[in-house]
Amino acid sequence: MVATVLSLKYRVVRHQLQREWWRALLLIGGGVWSLSLVPAVLWAQHALALQPIDVRADILVGAGALCVLGWVVAPLLVTGLDDTLDPGRFAVLGPSARTLMPGLTVAATLTIPAVFFGVMFLVLTRAWRFDGAGTMAVAVLGAVLTVASMVLGARVAVAWAARAVSSRRARTVSLIGLVAALGAIGPAIWLTVRDGLESAAEHELPIILEWLGRTPLGAGMAAPGALAEGELWSAAWRLLLMAGTVAALWGAWGVNVSRALVHPVHRGGGAQRRTDAILAGAADRWWGSRGGAAIVTRTVRSRALVYWATDVRYLVNAMGVVALPFVIFVIVVPVMGLDARWALAAPIVLAASIGWGRHNDLAYDSTALWMDVVAGRIGRQVMAGRAQAVLVWGVPAVLVSAVAIVAWGRFWVAIPGLIGACVGALGSTLGVSALSSVVLPYRAPAPGENPFGAEVGSLGASLVAQLISGAAMLAVLPLVTVPFILSLTLDGRWGWLALVTGVGLGIGACIAGVRAAGAMYDRRSGQLLAAVV
Amino acid sequence: MPPSDPASASALSLRGLTKRFGPTIAVAGIDLDIPTGSFYGVVGPNGAGKTTALSMATGLLEPDTGTVLVHGVDLWADPASAKPMLGVLPDSLHTFDRLTGAELITYAGLLRGLDREVVRERRDDLLAALDLRQAGSTLVTDYSAGMTKKIGLACALVHAPRVLVLDEPFEAVDPVSAGAIRRILISFVGSGGTVVLSSHVMALVERLCDHVAVVGSGRILAAGSLDEVRGGQDLEDRFVGLVGDVEDGRDLAWLRQS
Repeated sequence: MVATVLSLKYRVVRHQLQREWWRALLLIGGGVWSLSLVPAVLWAQHALALQPIDVRADILVGAGALCVLGWVVAPLLVTGLDDTLDPGRFAVLGPSARTLMPGLTVAATLTIPAVFFGVMFLVLTRAWRFDGAGTMAVAVLGAVLTVASMVLGARVAVAWAARAVSSRRARTVSLIGLVAALGAIGPAIWLTVRDGLESAAEHELPIILEWLGRTPLGAGMAAPGALAEGELWSAAWRLLLMAGTVAALWGAWGVNVSRALVHPVHRGGGAQRRTDAILAGAADRWWGSRGGAAIVTRTVRSRALVYWATDVRYLVNAMGVVALPFVIFVIVVPVMGLDARWALAAPIVLAASIGWGRHNDLAYDSTALWMDVVAGRIGRQVMAGRAQAVLVWGVPAVLVSAVAIVAWGRFWVAIPGLIGACVGALGSTLGVSALSSVVLPYRAPAPGENPFGAEVGSLGASLVAQLISGAAMLAVLPLVTVPFILSLTLDGRWGWLALVTGVGLGIGACIAGVRAAGAMYDRRSGQLLAAVV
Repeated sequence: MPPSDPASASALSLRGLTKRFGPTIAVAGIDLDIPTGSFYGVVGPNGAGKTTALSMATGLLEPDTGTVLVHGVDLWADPASAKPMLGVLPDSLHTFDRLTGAELITYAGLLRGLDREVVRERRDDLLAALDLRQAGSTLVTDYSAGMTKKIGLACALVHAPRVLVLDEPFEAVDPVSAGAIRRILISFVGSGGTVVLSSHVMALVERLCDHVAVVGSGRILAAGSLDEVRGGQDLEDRFVGLVGDVEDGRDLAWLRQS
């Protein structure tokens, strides 16, 4: 069964590469990039081998824990996970989870990132080569177990996250959990680092690393250090802990696989709705929606709002936009010791993330688009309704985060400029995205598919569209951010100009982008459906 | 009503339609005139190009060459006038399945520019006529295949089009609902409307349609009134005669139980 599953996987990849040859370039590019890191890793293990045992262990524990965290978080927020071997697809063939699991495990291990991390961690074990064969063996065992926990951890995280967002109650709970976690981590990191990076590195960091070495995040990397210092028992229980963790993760994945075989997704969970949200939404006249064709705009907007509130793929998207601004605010600014004013970039990045996140907006409705297409020449109304649905939650989110950052750092002088920059960034990126989603749509996860799934070679599955819309966004953003930057660096009065230009350009770019996109929509309506499948 | 619409004109005419996907020629030149007030069946083997042709005839897929006239209006040149005359039920495409059945009909009606009050009334009529009242408050994603067909049909009907183009409207629909759909379609044709439907079920086409076209390998193999096409034969025999039977009728001996 292992061979069957593996050959299935590689056949799917091969066919995909034959249809779209440029994905092969990305795959090769990824491989070459990974290989180019090998000299750096070799140098690192050489440098480490010359350090005292406790320094060596601390560095390895820190690096290992960061990698494990990255493996768990990245597929949830950034890239998704290759789901060629989605267990649900085996359901009709009738194998049990027990027969599938070995094949799935081997296939998950033989991916470029997994192999790369495996090689990298094994190379790093050579840092212990002067401490005897026993230590070396423990180091290899610890490295293998750590890499296994990364690969399995990513699978389990995605499977559980997909389950967590698929039911309404679980969704609420996990959302509250996420907000609470972010709320706790953010201030904690700030408090730790505000007293200065040196002091933190001297006092807090060693304690954190020591504790990490006692958890599954770092135990595998801490074990050889313990043995090298003669603490046999301490090395042994760490390895046992790692082995137990890997076994538990494997078991958890297996439970999810056997559940996926008998619980096909794509059901609404029997939700009922007695009121007609579309009819009610169409009556809701607010700004910009007067005139004869406006009822169509309002209809599309209320439909899109239902999707933002209930479709898991949209929810995951909406949560994903927080990632980059959060990293800037909580990690980049304090860790790099940047001036606190850099934190003002976070709400602008949030606005741009929301806008750019919609650059494949149309494809998320998949083949349901036909309803809009057959209804007539209504491209402009369709695109306006979709953009308005994003603005309904995007504008408050951006403004609240801007005001919160200003209140946190008491940058009250900066508020007009910041609001201008935020509105400008949101409007102009939304305009660019509207155009991109009509001109360069690419396949998105279909309704009911795993929202954390990504296709083979996912990082670039859509490279052209992402590059072009990204470049267009970067070309537009300075127009709305430069006056704001001048207000911070030169003279506060620039802020008022930033407010005027930002709001003006943002609204203008959004309307212009949506109108142009609507005209393109009408012209391309006969090709859109074929492009999103 | 556009001036180019004499009562005798075709409801839908396809002229020289072609479509190619990479190396595959899906539709190799289709000419077809569908008279106003006819109940027109389009039949053909799997992969014959029926769905591709109907997609091009309804504005869902741009043809490589050829024109589509809806009551004399060029669909691809003037979609704003042509599309309101069409009611469309595509095969095997998603709908906005996070909406309830009732909301989906409302959505289709409002997109067509109908007034809210009109939509509310027609929505309730359609839910009742298609026996979907219970399902009106359920999300479409929880529907069975047959219910999805019925709600799709309701969306195609809500703006009272002049021409209905339905891809496999009876697939997976239970006999009671099929009876209701038949009655609706027959009375629609009786009042002067035109129905074009594709199907694999010859008995159904023979029972309902007065005209039929047989499509094979992206071309029209035969078209005309039901009796002309049948030529005295059973429609199924005539169909197999036109498209050819399975060439290698080999016996799956290993499948036998004893």
